[in-house]
Parts: sequence; C-alpha cells; structure tokens
Amino acid sequence: MTFRARLSLFLLAILVLVQGITWAMVYSATRKASIAEGERQLSAAADAFIEQMEDVSSRIAGSVQVLSLDYPLRAAIAQRDEDTIWSALRNHGRRVGAERMLLLDLDGSIRTDTAHAPGDEPAVAPGFLFPGLLDDVYDHPVAAVVAIEGRAYWLVVVPVYAPQPVALIAAGIPIDDKLLQRLQRLSALPKSIELVASTGIGPPQRIARGDASLDLLGAARSQAAALPAQPALTQVGEHEFVLLSRPLLQSTSDLTVTALFGYSLDDALRPFREMTATWALLVALGLLLGAIGAWLLARGVARPLESLTAATARIESGDYSAPDGVPEAARHDEIGRLSHAFQQMSEAIRERESRIRHQAEHDAGSGLLNRPAALRRIDQQLSDQRGSTTDALLMIGLTRLPDIVKTFGHAVGDRLMQASAAKLQHDANAVLVARAGDSRLLLWLDNCSRDGAIQQAFRLREQLSEVIHDGDLRLSLDPAVGIAVAPDQGSDASVLAQRAEVALFEASALDEPVRAYDPARDPNRPERLQLMSELGVAIDGDGLALHYQPKLLIGTGRVAGAEGLVRWPHPLRGPIPPDQFVLLAEETGNIRRLTRWVLAAGIAEARRWKEAGRKLKLALNLSVRDLEDRELPRHVANLLAAHQVGGDALTLEVTESAAMRHPDNAIGIMRQLADLGITIAIDDFGVGQSSLTYLRRLPARELKIDQSFVRRLAENMEDRTIVRSIVELGHRLGFTVTAEGVEDRPSLDFLADVGCDLAQGYFIAKPMPGDAFAALLDDVGRAEKADG
Amino acid sequence: MQVMDQRGQAVADAVLTLLPDGATASDPDASASSSAASPATHTIDQRDERFVPYVELFRPGDRVVFRNSDNTRHHAYSFAPEAAFEMVLKPGESSDPITLPDAGTIAVGCNIHDQMITYLVVADALRQGKTDSRGQWQADDLPPGHYRLGIWHPQIRPAGKAQTRELDIGSASQSLQVRIDLGPDPRGSGDRERLDY
Repeated sequence: MTFRARLSLFLLAILVLVQGITWAMVYSATRKASIAEGERQLSAAADAFIEQMEDVSSRIAGSVQVLSLDYPLRAAIAQRDEDTIWSALRNHGRRVGAERMLLLDLDGSIRTDTAHAPGDEPAVAPGFLFPGLLDDVYDHPVAAVVAIEGRAYWLVVVPVYAPQPVALIAAGIPIDDKLLQRLQRLSALPKSIELVASTGIGPPQRIARGDASLDLLGAARSQAAALPAQPALTQVGEHEFVLLSRPLLQSTSDLTVTALFGYSLDDALRPFREMTATWALLVALGLLLGAIGAWLLARGVARPLESLTAATARIESGDYSAPDGVPEAARHDEIGRLSHAFQQMSEAIRERESRIRHQAEHDAGSGLLNRPAALRRIDQQLSDQRGSTTDALLMIGLTRLPDIVKTFGHAVGDRLMQASAAKLQHDANAVLVARAGDSRLLLWLDNCSRDGAIQQAFRLREQLSEVIHDGDLRLSLDPAVGIAVAPDQGSDASVLAQRAEVALFEASALDEPVRAYDPARDPNRPERLQLMSELGVAIDGDGLALHYQPKLLIGTGRVAGAEGLVRWPHPLRGPIPPDQFVLLAEETGNIRRLTRWVLAAGIAEARRWKEAGRKLKLALNLSVRDLEDRELPRHVANLLAAHQVGGDALTLEVTESAAMRHPDNAIGIMRQLADLGITIAIDDFGVGQSSLTYLRRLPARELKIDQSFVRRLAENMEDRTIVRSIVELGHRLGFTVTAEGVEDRPSLDFLADVGCDLAQGYFIAKPMPGDAFAALLDDVGRAEKADG
Repeated sequence: MQVMDQRGQAVADAVLTLLPDGATASDPDASASSSAASPATHTIDQRDERFVPYVELFRPGDRVVFRNSDNTRHHAYSFAPEAAFEMVLKPGESSDPITLPDAGTIAVGCNIHDQMITYLVVADALRQGKTDSRGQWQADDLPPGHYRLGIWHPQIRPAGKAQTRELDIGSASQSLQVRIDLGPDPRGSGDRERLDY
C-alpha cells in the first residue's frame, strides 16, 4: 500500500470515526431527550386525557340527569307504569347516546332494563352489577367507566325525584374504539390509548383501543405484571414505546378501568431521523471533500517523494541531465528543503562524477583526451554515421619527443604535447584531438577522404615541424603521420587506431613523413598470422631448407666457404621470400626457433663437409633477437660438439644495427661465441651508423659490405670510393672484408683491385641446396685438378 | 327531647311520634287527641321559591291549602298514593283545600322549581310534633308508661325509613337526645340540573 493510500485512508477513517461517534452521541442524547420528553408529555397527556374523560363523563351525567327530571318519566315511574317507563327510558337513552338504560329501585335491584322488552324480563331479576356506584348517588350524579361483557361503557347513575327519590336511572353509554380514536386525534400528543379493565380476578382485559394495529396491553404485560404507573420504555411489536397507565377516576371498587397510553418513540424520533438523513448527506459530502483533501494532501507529500525516487533512479543510472530534475525544490516546506538538499547532493555528485569522468578520459599530464575515451567517442560517431561518410584517423608520432622527455623532463614533454594538440585543434578541422601514447597524438577528421587526409597530414606535419619555443628552449618535433580511413579500413575505432599506428610505424621505419595504411603491408594482417603458424609447423617438421651461397676468396679464386640462407618451400604457396618469413618470425617472437633450426641444419652440413674433406667455412645469420639469448652460446657449443665440428669452421653474421641494439648483452654473447673459435662477422656494414670506436670493442673479425654499395660498383664512383675506404679501413683494423651482392665482372675486378678478401653474389653463384653446392665444389675441384 | 345529626348539629323539622307500647299509629285508642280535635286546615306557603314549612304534621282528615306568595307561578304535585294531585298556582292564588284522610308521608314538589319540596306527614300518634330550629320538641303531661318513639326526617338515611326507639316514661320530666343520620338537603342551594358532583 503506498504512502498516499495509507495517509488518505487514515484521514478518512478518522473523519468517519469522529462523525460516527458524534452521530452516536447525538442520537443517544436525542433518544434520551425524546424518551424524557415522551415521558413528560405522556404524563401531561395522560392527565389531560383523564380530565377530558371526566369532562365528557360530567357532560353525559348532566344529560342523564336532565333526562331524569323529565316530568312524564317521573310520573310514569312514580305511578309504576312499566311499559311507559321502558319506552321512555329507551327513548331518552337515545338522546344521550346510551345503548342501555336501567331503572333501579332505591335498594339497587333492577326494575327495568331496556335490553329486555317488557314481559321479556328474565325470571330472576339480576342485581345491579356495580352496587358500589350507588353509595353516593344522592350526593351527586355518579358516572364511571365500566366494562360490561368485554366492552367499555360510561355508566351514569342518577336518582329520580318525585319529588323525593323514588328510583335510580342507570345509563350505559358505549365507549367504542371509534370514540377513542377521536379522542386520540383530538389529543395534542401523538399517542395510542387503550382502556383496560381489571376486576382483581384474572388478567386485565382490554375493553377499547384507539389503534387496532397495536397491542399496548400485551407489550406492557410482557414487561411487567402490573401496568406501568410510571412511564416505561417498552418494545411494542417492532417499535419502541413509552407506556404509562392511569386509572380512570370514576372507576369503582369492583372494577378498575385503566387507561394505557403509548407514546411512539419512533414518531418522536422521526424528526431526528429526517435530520439523520441530512446528516448522512453532510457526512458523505464531508467524506468526499475529506477524500479529495486527503488525496491532495497525500499527493502533496507522496508525489514529491515519488518524483524524488524517480530522480534518484535517474541519477543512479547516471543521468544528471535535468538541472531542475529534482522536483519540488521551489517549495518552502519540509519537502522543499529535502528536495533542495537532494538537488545539492545530486549536483555535488554530478560535479564529482564529471571530474572523475574527466580524469578518466583525459591524460593527467597534458590534459588531453586519452586514448580509450577518444576511441569511445569515435566509435560513437561511427555508429551514429553508420558508414555514410568517409572519415580519417590520423596518428601523429612526435618521434623526437622521447628524447626531449629524457633530456628536459616530462613537464616540457607534456607542454609540447599540449602545444601540438592546440595547433592541431586550431589548424585542422579536427573533430577530436587526443593523446594516443607517450609520443603520439590522435586526430579524427570526419568527412574526409583518404587523399584529403594525406594532404591534410602533410600540412599538419609542416606546421608541427616548426620550431617550438618553450622558455629558452627551441625544439623541433619532426613528426610522422599514419593514416587510417573509415570505413574502408575498419569501422571500429580501435582497429582504425591500430592501423593508423601501423602506418605510422611504417612511416617511421621508412623515414617517410606520411603514410597511409596499406593492408598488404600490415604485419598484423590475418594471412600473416596464418603463415606464422605454418612456419612453426615447418620449423618443427623440417619443412625448411638451408641453401648455400658460395663465398669466393678473391685472391685465389677458390671457394672459401658459403653463407647458409634459409628457404621455405611452402607446399601450397610455393617458395616464400625469406625476408618475408624471417621478418615475420622476428616480429612474432619465433626467430630463436628459426635460428636454432638454421644452426642445427647448418652445423650438420658443416659436419658433412668436414667428413668429405672440404675445408670450408659456413656463415650463418643471427637475428637481433638472438643476441639477447643468453643460452645461444651454450646451444651452439653443444651443436658443434655433437657434430664434432670446430668453431673455426663457423662464421656467425650479425647486422650492424643488431650489434648496436643492446651493446653490452650483444657484446657478451658475441664474445662467448668468439671464444668457441667462431668468427663473428658484421653484416650489412655501411648502412648503420656505428662508430668505429664501438666497432673496435666488438669481437668481430669480418666485415660484410652492404650490397647497396656493391651492386653498382661498375658504374658508381661514389660507391667505389666508399667500398675502397671500407676495405682499407677494415684491413687496417684487422677485419677480413667481404663484399656482398657482386653481380658482374667489373665489380669483382674492382674488388680484386682494392684488395677485398671475399666476394659473394649472383655473379659468383646463387644460393643453392646443399647437394648442388657439393656438386659445384666437386666440379671446381675437378677443374682445378684439370688445370693442374 | 333534642334531635342531632351525625355531625352533632341540631336537626330541625324532625318528626317525632310517641305511641304507647302495644298500640299502633292507627289505633284509635292510641290517638289520644285525634278524636278530641276537629279536622284542621293547614296552609303551605309558597314563598321565595320554597315551600314553607318544609315539614307539616297532619292528623288524618286534616286539610291542606297551598298558597302562592311569590310573583312566579308555582306548581305542586304529588304522586303519593295517599294523595295524588297536581296543580298550578298563579301568583297570589291559593288552592282548594285537599283533605288528607290517611296517615302517610306525602312528598310535594314543584315541577317548575326542582328544589321546592315539602313533606306532608299525616300521623295519628298519641303525641306527635316536630323539632324547632334548635332541634328540640317537648311532650307535656305524658302518662307514665312504656312508649315507642318514632323519629323521621325527610333526609333521614336509610332513605324514608323512620327510626324507632322503645322508652319508659316516668312521672318526672326527662330529656332525651336522639341522633340520626341525614342525607343532603334536597332543597339545595341551586338547581339540581346545575348541580356538580
């Protein structure tokens, strides 16, 4: 049950209760007053009735007395003329409404009775029924209400004087119900009257009643044996009456006639009942008004609570959108204060949450939007646009920034980041600028084609390349830009960002300013991953092959050794280019497995060479990752021991950049390898930026001049100068020098001229399988023998 | 002899008769004076709407005359078997004498004025008389002997029944008080029609 319903019900219940109690009190008081008033009125009315009866009696008595003075009647009586007496009595009786006339002797015996015609009298004349009435008959006329044969009569007895008393006339005038009804009607008080006769023997008998539908006597006698002398509340049938009895004064000692009065309480309460109806109407009206009022009041309390509840639910779900979302705060009562407090609370929460959200979405140092938040927003835009436009995500790498941070601290780095972001925001029509990494900014350009994005990227790069003044510092960031375009290259922000980063890395690696994403070059593309897993299978299942490219000792024209180059003859795709899967192995962390396979295969071949009596040196390549592998020297040692091959039969080639990567580790490992008798060669020499000082620290004994210098030796003078210088320098530092990529005779001749020790290239021989190499060696051997 | 009522009031107009023991009222021997006196004529006056006197004693054979002394007409009637008559007297008129031959009590009324009543008592005792306003009556020269005393009054109760009393009379004079019960005075103070009870 809601609060509102409870409150309304409570108020209504109180209203009903109070009204009910009030009604009950008023009813009780009214009833009591009605009873009291009824009793009072009944007493008065009873007295009045008795008086009225006596008044009527008196009049009747007077009439009868006048009748008795009729001279002819007196004469007839005095002269005992019985027939005349009978007819005169009957005649005179009619005048006064008497039903029955008696002529009595002075001793009370009946002489004439109009009920019996003359000559028809009963044999034995009955005595007068009410001798008591005769006692005072000479003092005054006697009139009494009596019961004769169950009916009520006024019995009037008067003496007949002629001129002294000679007889008595008794007249019986009936009191019928009709008469009583008339008297009832004449009465001021609504009441019922019954006349009851009691002889002292047997129960009282009703002899007349004014209201035929009521049985006052029965009701009174059911309550008490005696008739009520005092007003008494009595149930009569279905109604309540106040009953009162009064003996009629004219009653005789032989017979008491009592008037029984009934005062209907229902009649007395009728005005009150009418009032009750009005009252009920008023109460109903009050209830209605009360209900409306209670409802309004309850609503005034409950509705704000409900809306506060709704507001709480809204805030719970994180919706602070409506600043006036908290209802009723304008009210000036308790609810208003509560709402106000609630509103303040929700504002505080909103503020805190927006701060937290800002912190969550922004980079602490630069104050820029962070990567996850940026990606969320971009995703939002993408889902809003549903691929209807072309958008571009630009990943801007501030390549110099890590160095600047290292040198000048994070504060300067963050400021530069901020400044760059501000420039981007200002210059480009960027929807969004965010920090995507330590040294990367992310830029979202909506409605921008790939070409437009590339143009924009160049422009932005130029602007960012301008020298930035930070205090006394003058700094240049040298940015590179990677671009990914939606929806072509992804409809998902994180994918776009990743691809833009791939493009950026590619740009950095290629030293290009701007690069758009090319799925074909993406190291993370799915087919590459597939290839990687197949490479793993190939390594484990000897699916690779090691080919050998001969190294020519230029001075003697003899084959002094070979470089082992790994080949992958893919069963379905055909031969996979080595740089492709080697790079893949490097990037996916499989290069060590590949290296170990190469080592195992190479050293096994070296053993075969040794067994065949060939004094050849095998050169194998180590990756940059291999120089981090502390297990490598032991592994190599184990292989050499296993194949009984001496370390001096092996050359391990390390690129200049790999050797430079982690100099301390790399040098340690190289030294361990060198200690095994293995020759360490610096591969691709000349393209790196290694210092000569550093070079001297390496345990290397061979330099391999990068083929980019060698390939065009025939025509390029600069290359010739470089090669000559490297050979000269190498020799002076005690290195054996090898030239790679020799593709023509003039180059070989030039190398011979400058004293280069070894040469390698297509002009000499392509890489070939082990048996082909062995066959080649055999051919050369035969030729040499033939040459003598 | 004095007659008192139940309230101790002196009773006037009480009729007293004395008869020697053994004699009846109609016994000629007992009527000491009847034979001696000649018939007399008594006049009953009708004055101020009253018969005067209220009670009149007669000897059998006496005559009665009614005289109207008022300015209104009067009526006089009797249904008594001893003397039934009826007459109307104009003012100032007197009736013819009516002879009352037999002993008895004759009530006479006036049909015009209900309260008018008089009693004509015809008796033939040795001595008879009525009490005066002090209720006293005196019988002189009574021979000693045993007597029966009759006492009657128009209002005596039970109605109409004369009381009797035996008494011995000596030579010396003696006085006697008699008490009787009386009803209301029928002459009343007003009309019976208007009488309230």
